[in-house]
Amino acid sequence: MKTKITDALYPVGFAIGFLIIWELAVRLLDIPIYLLPSPTDIVAVIDSSLWSHMLVTLLEALTGFVFANILGLITAIIFVHSKPIEKGVFPLAIALKTTPLVALAPLLVVWMGTGYSSKVVASMLICFFPILVNSVKGLKAIEHEAWELFSTYKGTKAEIFWKLRLPTSLPYVFSALKISTSLAIVGAIVGEFVGANKGLGYVVLVSSYHMDTPVMFSAIIASALCGLVLFWGISQLERKIIFWQRTDDL
Amino acid sequence: MLTTASDLGKEASRLQNQDTTISSKSEIAVTLKNCSLSFGDVQVLNNVSLDIYKNEFVSILGPSGCGKSTLLRLMLDLLQPNAGGEIIYPSKDLSLGMVFQKPVLMPWLTAIQNIALPLTIGEKKFTKKEAKEKAEGALRLVGLQDFMNHFPHQLSGGMQQRIAIARALAADPTVLLMDEPFGALDEFTREKLNFELLRLWESPETSLSTVVMVTHSIQESVLMSNRVIMMSPRPAGVDDIIPVPLPSPREVGMEELPAFHQTVKELRKRVKHL
Ligand SMILES: Nc1ncnc2c1ncn2[C@@H]1O[C@H](COP(=O)(O)OP(=O)(O)OP(=O)(O)O)[C@@H](O)[C@H]1O
Ligand SMILES: [Mg+2]
Repeated sequence: MKTKITDALYPVGFAIGFLIIWELAVRLLDIPIYLLPSPTDIVAVIDSSLWSHMLVTLLEALTGFVFANILGLITAIIFVHSKPIEKGVFPLAIALKTTPLVALAPLLVVWMGTGYSSKVVASMLICFFPILVNSVKGLKAIEHEAWELFSTYKGTKAEIFWKLRLPTSLPYVFSALKISTSLAIVGAIVGEFVGANKGLGYVVLVSSYHMDTPVMFSAIIASALCGLVLFWGISQLERKIIFWQRTDDL
Repeated sequence: MLTTASDLGKEASRLQNQDTTISSKSEIAVTLKNCSLSFGDVQVLNNVSLDIYKNEFVSILGPSGCGKSTLLRLMLDLLQPNAGGEIIYPSKDLSLGMVFQKPVLMPWLTAIQNIALPLTIGEKKFTKKEAKEKAEGALRLVGLQDFMNHFPHQLSGGMQQRIAIARALAADPTVLLMDEPFGALDEFTREKLNFELLRLWESPETSLSTVVMVTHSIQESVLMSNRVIMMSPRPAGVDDIIPVPLPSPREVGMEELPAFHQTVKELRKRVKHL
């Protein structure tokens, strides 16, 4: 427990040091604010509107994240139970993955308008692939002897799925979830870049038109924070659910 | 009866069991007939024919990689023999139990939940309460009642293997197949479990009547079994079957008897000549 707290102090210490150097450098070297605002300049522009934009982005990303992961997991379950479907659909999923989201985003806005749904779908598109690939891998990762154990005692297909395949796949599923936390935010922000009137992507875009660099910085930092919050939440959940596996990363 | 010597081969063998000189001991538990098995081009088993009887404890010895685990998988119906081979269990109330070479525990289940797992899947469904009681009994047999709610990652390798043994016993097997069940255990636990398994097998209260155990230990095979089956190197067949002339029930200290040493020596000789 003690080591955990001191472990957390290291990055905090370095971050504070970094901020101080940044502040001093900007002031002493007289760097113009539109190029690099100092931390205090950035803090000064933070107001409640930033929070509401952040909530919009977070909500879009989270919705996309949840739908994509449910859909991806279901698709993976269908894949492992049907070879023909897996063979037919997997290449299409790969093709979808190789299409850059940035190229698709304008189309999404044309189809769904500048509101909430186009960002959710952008977020879904980018989150779908990791969960699909990892779940397929995880659902197939059962130990051969474990399968033999279930067969020896005449376990049904459903029992093998619920009591063996699904629990075995959980570590794989969670590593996909962690990857897609940051991807979900990327999806939402790309959607906002193309057409929106709220959200962090919108704030970044508008502030860049006005050369309002402090606001831009505040939005960038807020978007990083969104990703961190999601990642932390998933990590906590993972620690609870996959208690039998030690996860060392963060 | 019209049975003649030439009829002994096929269907008659089952009827044959019931007559004349043959005691209850020689009622057949499982018969393997001409079982060969290949994985692709690699032939692993070559024409294995074998009768194993009820109330019998049989050990299988053989060089590593010769196909002992494969033979057990065949008997479990997890693998099918090549055409011409056949495996017959004459008994109507057959219940197969298996202890694998590895513990194969579910890491997300506690010790007791792992033991109860076979009781809650397949046809042989028990209520949650019954399964729990049976599992507790089996856990006591292997001396791990204090670790009921521990997860596998909190147990040592030997303890995990004991859980695996308890899991096989909890399902009331009549025929128990074991693949080097004590290989990962220390001497103390190993000896203790050797005799505990013998007691369970002898006990009229358990349904267990036939044990087939693969082992690497010549001593263990002699101490525990009525017959020792020696397998030849791959492609493996039955090289020889050696009866163990030790009195039953087996007791601690029988390793000192001349008959024990004799049989061990006999087996050693055969291992060398393989
Ligand atoms: N699924 C499989 N596919 C291909 N070859 C296999 C398979 N399973 C086993 N074999 C081969 O069959 C042979 C016998 O394997 P098996 O596991 O039965 O040996 P074993 O007698 O149990 O050895 P050990 O004493 O080391 O456990 C080995 O040469 C192995 O490579
Ligand atoms: Mg083996």
